[in-house]
Amino acid sequence: MLIAFMAVGFLALLAAGFAAAWVTGELAKHSQAVSHTYEVELAIADTRRLIEQGETARRGYLLSPGTPRFLEAYNDAAKALPRAEKKLRQLTYDNPRQQAHIRKLEQHLRELQTLRGQSVELIVAGKVGEARELFQTEMSSARFREVRAVFDQMTREERALLAIRDAQQERSISLFYTVLVVAGLLLAAVAISALLVVVRYTGDLAQSREQLQQLNESLEAIVVDRTSDLSRANDEIQRFAYIVSHDLRSPLVNVMGFTAELEAATATLRELVEQAEQDAPDILTDDARLAAQEDLPEAIGFIRTSTQKMDRLINAILALSRQGRRVLAPETLDLMRMVSQIRDSMAHRLDETGARIDVVGNLPALVSDRVAIEQILSNLIENAVKYRHPDRPVEVQVSGAAGGDRVWIEVSDNGRGIDPRDHERVFDLFRRSGTQDQPGEGIGLAHVRALAYRLGGTITLRSALGEGATFRLSLPSTLSLQEKS
Amino acid sequence: MNAHQSVSIVMIEDDEGHARLIEKNIRRAGILNDIKHFLDGTSALDYLFNAPDGPMLNGPALVLLDLNLPDMSGTDILAKIKQSDGPVKRTPVVVLTTTDDSREIQRCYDLGANVYITKPVNYESFAQAIRQLGLFLSVIQVPDIEE
Repeated sequence: MLIAFMAVGFLALLAAGFAAAWVTGELAKHSQAVSHTYEVELAIADTRRLIEQGETARRGYLLSPGTPRFLEAYNDAAKALPRAEKKLRQLTYDNPRQQAHIRKLEQHLRELQTLRGQSVELIVAGKVGEARELFQTEMSSARFREVRAVFDQMTREERALLAIRDAQQERSISLFYTVLVVAGLLLAAVAISALLVVVRYTGDLAQSREQLQQLNESLEAIVVDRTSDLSRANDEIQRFAYIVSHDLRSPLVNVMGFTAELEAATATLRELVEQAEQDAPDILTDDARLAAQEDLPEAIGFIRTSTQKMDRLINAILALSRQGRRVLAPETLDLMRMVSQIRDSMAHRLDETGARIDVVGNLPALVSDRVAIEQILSNLIENAVKYRHPDRPVEVQVSGAAGGDRVWIEVSDNGRGIDPRDHERVFDLFRRSGTQDQPGEGIGLAHVRALAYRLGGTITLRSALGEGATFRLSLPSTLSLQEKS
Repeated sequence: MNAHQSVSIVMIEDDEGHARLIEKNIRRAGILNDIKHFLDGTSALDYLFNAPDGPMLNGPALVLLDLNLPDMSGTDILAKIKQSDGPVKRTPVVVLTTTDDSREIQRCYDLGANVYITKPVNYESFAQAIRQLGLFLSVIQVPDIEE
């Protein structure tokens, strides 16, 4: 739209420019024509003057032949006349009518010249009387009238030409003004339309910018909403886990307590059965003996181990939920030192099994929560030492590097490895993989993953059965505390 | 407490099993004081403040308080006891509960709890704790209502 307007405006300007150039050309032509006309008029006047001058000089000489000045004047005029005539002819060569006039004039002039020559020669020869006679017969006044008439016609002719040219000039000027006015109007229209378009565009632009801003703001509001929804949901889950684990503990206290009471009672009963065995074996049935000595202790034993296991599981949930509620405190961490502290804390076990824990290269700088990172690393390292391959001594390697605004840390071992089918499962709570020959509840990696997520990180696993495992922890190099629960 | 046989123990505990286990172990510790058991907060408060034989009107008492009650939170009962006027205010309160959340413990002491004990899930520890509480109860002095 705007481009179309600009094109129209440009064309109008171009037309105005062309019109101006054309008019300038026309004006130049006209002024040339005018000067030509004046030149012609001048030439006419010149010729006329010379003729009249020659005539006057001849007549003067005729009247007073003793005055040679008249003869000189006549000669001068007669000499100059052909040049003036020639000039006149040249100036009007493109005008056949003027040429015709000139031809007529020349005829008269030649006759006049001849007559004049004769009379002057007669005077020079001293025959003044003859000369005067000749002059009287030659009818010079009538000829002069004719000559004058021809000159007048020529002048009129030039004037007429000039008038035609003036009219042409006027027409071209008025045409120029018309073009100028049209171009001006067009330009004005274009300018106004362009202005309107620009104003509308600007309005549209401002409006869309406003819309964009509103959209942006509402987007922010939506994000804030969602975030608070999410953190509410997260809080809810945390509270739920906390309450559930608390409320589960309460009946468990009863189960364990009364189991203990039962055990104590069973002990009393067993003593009684043993006493009876000695004192009065005949009152004891086999069933009673079996119940007191085997069934009751066995049942109580199962209840006990089950409740103990349940207690451990509840404690694990409680620990996880507590971890989720803990306020994170980011600080600069020395990972090298942290790993060596973990190694020191396990020194006894490492010595026993001949296990080695090595840091490969330098570990990157990290700003994060100390407790969380410590728990993640010690869990991973303990697992690496715990799930060893039976045929080779344990070797654990800890490595890491920074890349962009993230940091990765890898803990890899040469242990028994994890079946690829279990790679997701091992991170689930209470799930374990491989031979269940080690104590544990399947809590560690679930805890590690929960912590990693909470720190804004991820944890991934590469492993194949029998070939060791590598856990890769990826964390933001600086923990930001946007999320506060 | 031996010197104050009249001191009664008010046990506010919604779990009857817990109540029974607590009572058994207190008795095993040799404490023979009268134990009044309430399953909910409302009736317990009613007893504490209004009963003719309650601590408000008659004789000193000691409160064993569980925090997880069906009708109100144990901390509300604690606050009501400690912020009341009269002799009930001076009644020692032993909070005996499953909650071991540090913030909760702090809150109870802030509200004026005298002792806070977490019930161990492991019964041996639980029984041990209650027996120790019994020993403790046998030596502490409870303010006399007449003073």
